[in-house]
Amino acid sequence: MPKTNINFIGQRKYAFLISGILSVIGIVAFVSIMIGKANMGLDFSGGTMIQGNFEKPVTVAELRGALATLGKGDAEIQELVGHIKPNSFIIRVKATLTELGKVDTLLLNAIAKAFPDNPFLLDSSHEVGPAVGKLLRKQAQLAVLYSLFGILIYIWIRFDFRFAVAATIATFHDVLAVLGIMFLMQKEITLLVITALLTLAGYSLTDTVVVYDRIRENLKMFRKKGDFEATINASVNEVLSRTVVVSLTVFITVLVIFLFGGNVVRDFALAMMMGVAVGTYSSIFVASPIIVEWENRSPKRFK
Amino acid sequence: MRRRYMWMLVVTGVFVIGALVSLYPTFKVWTMTAQEKLAKIDDPDYINTERKSIKLGLDLRGGMHVVLEVDKSKLTPDEASDAVDRALEIIRNRVDKFGVAEPLIQKQGKDRIVVELPGISDRARATSLIGQTAQLEFKLLENPDNLKNILNQIDRTLGPQKDTTAKEKPKPVTDLFGKSTGDTAKTEEEPTEKPFSSLLQTAGNGYFFVQPEDVPQVRRFLEKPEVQEQITPDVEILWSSKNETSEGRPLAGLYLVKKQVELSGKFLTFARENRDPQTGAPTVDFELNRDGGRIFGRLTGANIQKPLAIVLDQKVVSAPIIQGQISNRGQITLGGGGTMEEAHDLAIILRAGALPAPVKIIESSLIGPSLGADSIEKGKISGLIGIGLVILFMSFYYRLSGVIASFGMLLNFVFLVAILASLGLTLTLPGIAGIILTMGMSVDSNVLIFERIREEMRSGKTVRASIEAGYKRALWTVIDSHVTTLITAIILFIFGTGPVKGFAVSLSWGITISLFTAVVVTRAIFEIRKEYKTLSI
Repeated sequence: MPKTNINFIGQRKYAFLISGILSVIGIVAFVSIMIGKANMGLDFSGGTMIQGNFEKPVTVAELRGALATLGKGDAEIQELVGHIKPNSFIIRVKATLTELGKVDTLLLNAIAKAFPDNPFLLDSSHEVGPAVGKLLRKQAQLAVLYSLFGILIYIWIRFDFRFAVAATIATFHDVLAVLGIMFLMQKEITLLVITALLTLAGYSLTDTVVVYDRIRENLKMFRKKGDFEATINASVNEVLSRTVVVSLTVFITVLVIFLFGGNVVRDFALAMMMGVAVGTYSSIFVASPIIVEWENRSPKRFK
Repeated sequence: MRRRYMWMLVVTGVFVIGALVSLYPTFKVWTMTAQEKLAKIDDPDYINTERKSIKLGLDLRGGMHVVLEVDKSKLTPDEASDAVDRALEIIRNRVDKFGVAEPLIQKQGKDRIVVELPGISDRARATSLIGQTAQLEFKLLENPDNLKNILNQIDRTLGPQKDTTAKEKPKPVTDLFGKSTGDTAKTEEEPTEKPFSSLLQTAGNGYFFVQPEDVPQVRRFLEKPEVQEQITPDVEILWSSKNETSEGRPLAGLYLVKKQVELSGKFLTFARENRDPQTGAPTVDFELNRDGGRIFGRLTGANIQKPLAIVLDQKVVSAPIIQGQISNRGQITLGGGGTMEEAHDLAIILRAGALPAPVKIIESSLIGPSLGADSIEKGKISGLIGIGLVILFMSFYYRLSGVIASFGMLLNFVFLVAILASLGLTLTLPGIAGIILTMGMSVDSNVLIFERIREEMRSGKTVRASIEAGYKRALWTVIDSHVTTLITAIILFIFGTGPVKGFAVSLSWGITISLFTAVVVTRAIFEIRKEYKTLSI
C-alpha cells in the first residue's frame, strides 16, 4: 500500500460526533434490555420456542388461531421464508412458571388438532425457565465488565495509563455500537450475540495495539510538544495497511459464516462483522484522538 | 543460525505426528456404527478412546438436552450435601437402562444436572424417565366407617351450596321443577346438601370416581382450610395417576388413604415389566429384600380383603385388594390402560431407585436429526470457503510469503483440532464458527510480521536483515494483540456454558497455537533458503 498521509486526528471532531451517536444508540439499547423492552433471546427471557415445517402451506393467522385455543394466541409466530424446507415456522411463547417441560407438547398437540391432515414436523424445540434467564443476564454483564477491566489492566502494564483508558473507551464504544445497531435492526439478542460482543471486544484491541505500538516507537524519537499530534497522525498512517489487512482476514471468514453458516450462527456472524469494522474504525478515530485530546489538555512528558 | 531453525522444523514435525496420533481416537470413533458403539458401551478401552475423541454436540447430532434443578428445600443439611450427586447417579442408572448411545449426564454448578440424550426424539417419555422422583409407597385405605364420617363432616362444613358442575355433561331429562333423574345428574337451581360427596361416585372401599369435569371443583373444595380440618390427621386424599375408563368414559380416581407409609420403595431389590396372565394387562413385578419381605408379609397377613394403595410420587397407581399373605414378591398393575412401554419405564425407574429430592426442569431442548445434519453441512461449507478465501487473499497480497503463511494456517488447523480432540471437546456449531474465526485471526500474526519486513526492506536493509528485524520488532505487537483477545476468550470460558464454552476453548487454543506457528514455524521456513536476493512478500 502506498504511503498515506491522511489527517485522521484532524478529523476527530467528526469522528467524535459519529462515535457519540453510535454510543448513544448503544446506551439506549442497553437500557431497553434492562427494562425488558428489547428482543431478548430465549436464554435470557425464558419461554418456549419450536421450529418446524408443515407439509402444506399454512398462514400465520391460521396458526395463531390454532394456538389461541391454548390461550397462547399472543405467541410470536414467524414464517421462515426462503428456508430449505417450505412452510417453516418458528413459534415463540413466553415463559410461565407452571408448565415448563410440557409447553412444546401442548403446542404440538394443539397444532395437530387444528390441522389434522397437514402434519407438522418438528425441527427443534427449546424451553428455558424464567429463573435461568435472570442469572444469565447477570453473568453476561459481569463478563463484559471483567473483560473491560482485564483489557484496561493489560494495556496499562504494556503501555501507559492514558493509552489504557483510551483503549478501554474505544472498546466499550465498539460493544455499544454493535449492540445498538443489532437493537435497531430488531435482531434477537441471544447468548451467541453476547458471545460475539465479548469476542469483538477482545479482537478490536488487536488493531488498537498495532497503532499503539507504532505510536510508542515514534514517540521515542520525537520529544517536542508541537510534534505530538503530527507524530500520532504519522503513526496511524504508517500502520494503516496492516490495520486494514488484519481486520480484512477476519472479516472474510466471518462474512463466509454469515452467508453460508445457516440461521443459527447468522446473527453471531453479523455482530462479528460489524464489530470488526467498528473496531478498526475506533482504533483510528477514537483511541488515538482521545490520547491527543488528553495530551492537549494536560500535557505530559512521554518517555 | 541455521541449526536453530532446523531444530524448530524438526520439533514442528514431531508436533505434527503427535497431532495425528491425537486425532486417531476421533477417527476410530467416527468410523464406528451406532450398534458397535452400543455394544462396547462398557468396554474400558472404548471408553478411553471415546474420551479422547471429538464428540458431536447435540445441535449437530440431534437429540435432547435437559437441565434439571434439584429441589433441596425439604432436605436436612446432611442430606442436601450429597443429594445432587446421588440424584445424578440414579438418573445415570435410569438412562443407562434406557439404552441411549453416548448419553451425557453431568453436574452443573451446585444444584443442577445436565442430561443430554443424543438421538432421542420422544420428549415426553425421556422427560418422565429422568424427571420423576419415583417415590414408591404402599399405604392402606381408610376404613368405610371413618370414611363416611369424614365425608359427612365435609358436606356439613361446606353447607348447602349452589351446584356448580360443568355444563358439558349430557343432561338427563329434567322435569319442570329442574329436578333431574339419574344417579349422578345434578340440578342447576336447587342447592344440594351433599356438595362434596355428591361429586364422588363410590367405586370401592375408600375409593371414588370423579367425572373429569368435576375434578376442578373437587380440588377447589379440598383446598379450603375448613374442609382440610375435617380430614382426620392420619388420613390424606390422593388422586389416581391416570384416569380409569368406565363404560367408555374416563374417570379420575380419588382415594382416602392412611398417611402411614407401610412399605416404601427402599425395600425393593428387583423390578421387571410383565403381563398379567389373566387380564393381559401390563404389570411390574417386584421383589423385596428380607426386611421388606417381613414387613410386607405382616402387612398383607393382617389386612386380607382390604385394599392396599400403591402410591408413586403422591399419586395412586392402583389399589388392589389383598387376597392373601404375600411375603417378598408383588405385582403392580398399571391402571387405566397402561402400556407395556410404561411398565418398562416404571420398572427401570423402580430399579434405579427414587431420587433423594424432587427435580425441576429448568431448561429443555430438542433438536431434530435433520437440523443437525444440516448444521454440519453448513459448517463444512463455511469452513472450506472461508479458509479457501483467506489462502487466496494471502497468496495474492503477500505472494510466496503469503503461501507460506497459509501453510502455517493449515498447520494451525491440524494442531487445534488435535488439541481439541485430546481434550475430548464436544463440537457444536458455534464451536465450528470459533474454529473458522480462529483461522482468520491466525494469519494476523503473519500479516503483522510481513508488513514489518516490507517496511524494513523499504528502508534499505538487506533481505536477511529485514526478515530478522521484522520478526524481532513485530514480536511484541503480535503478542500484545493476541493476549487481548485471549483475555476475553478466557472470560467467555469462565462465564459460559455448553456451546459458549466450546467456542471459547476453540478460540483460546487457536490463538495460542497461531502464536507458535507464526513466530517459530514460518520463521524456520524462511530460514531454509541460505541466500536471498529478493523476497517474494
